[in-house]
Amino acid sequence: MENSIRLNIGPVHPAMHGVLKLILDVKGDTIIKAQTEIGFLHRASEKIAELRYFANYYPIMDKLDYVSALNMEILYASAVEKAANIEIPPRAVYIRTIMAEMQRIMSHLVFIGSFGEDLGNMTGFIWALRERELLMTLVEKISGGRLAPMYICNGGMFYDFPQGIEDDILKALSIIENKVNHEYHAMFTKNQIFLSRTKGVGIITKDMIKKYGITGPIARASGINRDLRKVSPYLAYDKVDFEIPVESDGDTYSRFLVRTLEILESIKIIRQCIKDLPAGPYKTAVPWIIRIPKKDTFIKQESPRGEMGIFLVTDGSDKPYRLKLRSPTFFAIHALEELLVNIKVADAFVIVASVDPVMGEVDR
Amino acid sequence: MVEVDKLKKAVKGELEVLADEKGLSIVRIKNKKLLTKLAWQLKEAFDLLYCISVVDYSPDFELNYIFSNYSNSDLFIIKVNITEKDFAVDSIAGIFNSANWEEREAYDLFGIKFNGHPDLRRILLPEDWPGHPLRKDFKVDDEVRNWTGLDLKF
Repeated sequence: MENSIRLNIGPVHPAMHGVLKLILDVKGDTIIKAQTEIGFLHRASEKIAELRYFANYYPIMDKLDYVSALNMEILYASAVEKAANIEIPPRAVYIRTIMAEMQRIMSHLVFIGSFGEDLGNMTGFIWALRERELLMTLVEKISGGRLAPMYICNGGMFYDFPQGIEDDILKALSIIENKVNHEYHAMFTKNQIFLSRTKGVGIITKDMIKKYGITGPIARASGINRDLRKVSPYLAYDKVDFEIPVESDGDTYSRFLVRTLEILESIKIIRQCIKDLPAGPYKTAVPWIIRIPKKDTFIKQESPRGEMGIFLVTDGSDKPYRLKLRSPTFFAIHALEELLVNIKVADAFVIVASVDPVMGEVDR
Repeated sequence: MVEVDKLKKAVKGELEVLADEKGLSIVRIKNKKLLTKLAWQLKEAFDLLYCISVVDYSPDFELNYIFSNYSNSDLFIIKVNITEKDFAVDSIAGIFNSANWEEREAYDLFGIKFNGHPDLRRILLPEDWPGHPLRKDFKVDDEVRNWTGLDLKF
């Protein structure tokens, strides 16, 4: 186009989360056309599933959305257990709920940190990762791993909670709650620079959400009250009391606020789960190699980035016949092509950060 | 459910109902030309295209269109079978915009042509990747092993 410059940003660029590539046509400082390119982190996760036993796929799930590995493990475990009709004991249900919510807090803290960093707020990044470290240490104590814990297995989890870990979790949660309520408000929501960079920027309307099939915190920031934990409760979410934060503006500030408020709701859920944590076995004994009869199974759960789904086709053998992963950010990245038009280049980075993409899950 | 009855009336006997319980309906259409008609009918009740999942039962390929709804968690699955001889199906990207990238992905990994798709290119793999890797007959041969990347022209 006339007088426009083509700007290639990424795939390896400090402001792109992971390996997302943006191709922007820029006129002056305004973007007139935006294209996205994905696939730089494609590791054939769906093909690998067809070559592995059901129990051997967990390490791959860990590396899909590497910021919320436990949610991915729980999703895959639920899919296999639904297909094979395996009942898991109530203690396992509660432990999984606690771990899923701890991972959700960690994931949102990474979002807050990296969002702050993209706005030039390095302090926010250090602070958020400092709080995340509290939970990381606990996950390490529980499972032995940090980023890729390998904690969930078919029928439950590999280990029970260590003695006295409940008190440590509660202690860490009250620290995080205090920080979110006070320090983060001072650093972000009461910070004039932050407000002027985020308010009214990158507005996603309700129609756009429905057009592109976006789910999760991005949809909730645009006034769509839909959270699978409430709409179709799984694990122990129907036994705990919590709310779904919904904002109506649809700008980057709302997306930030929704995720911040979700941290507080997750803290509420974990506290109730620890209070009601039932005694008993923590897993059902399931053989390492299982055969699942011919059928289709579809399962969907609320990951920190939206609605993650698995379509599992089995044919009576010991490996999946086909495993399709529905990734929520895949659809949100699609919307960027429309969202980035007619805005300034500096704001483009804020908008990409507010979508919170993790390319491992987009490219699969 | 109401939707299934409505669709049955719309396509007259070309619909095979596999499951119709609370929150989950699965139908199979015998004639793949009816897909777009069905998608238009469905859009009133199910406004969210979850995903398109292709399963390779060579020589037949089964496409699973999974729909959901923003107001509840009901699922509606349409199954369409296509054969390797006539390896194409009508695109629904004009009806559900979110199908755009899902169809590109199905084209990329299985090689299925979507008639009327606005921009049918590979999405995850490079443009010159040999073959479609999620097909059961995909072999990791020398061409794949020695693939070095795009011939970039500067």
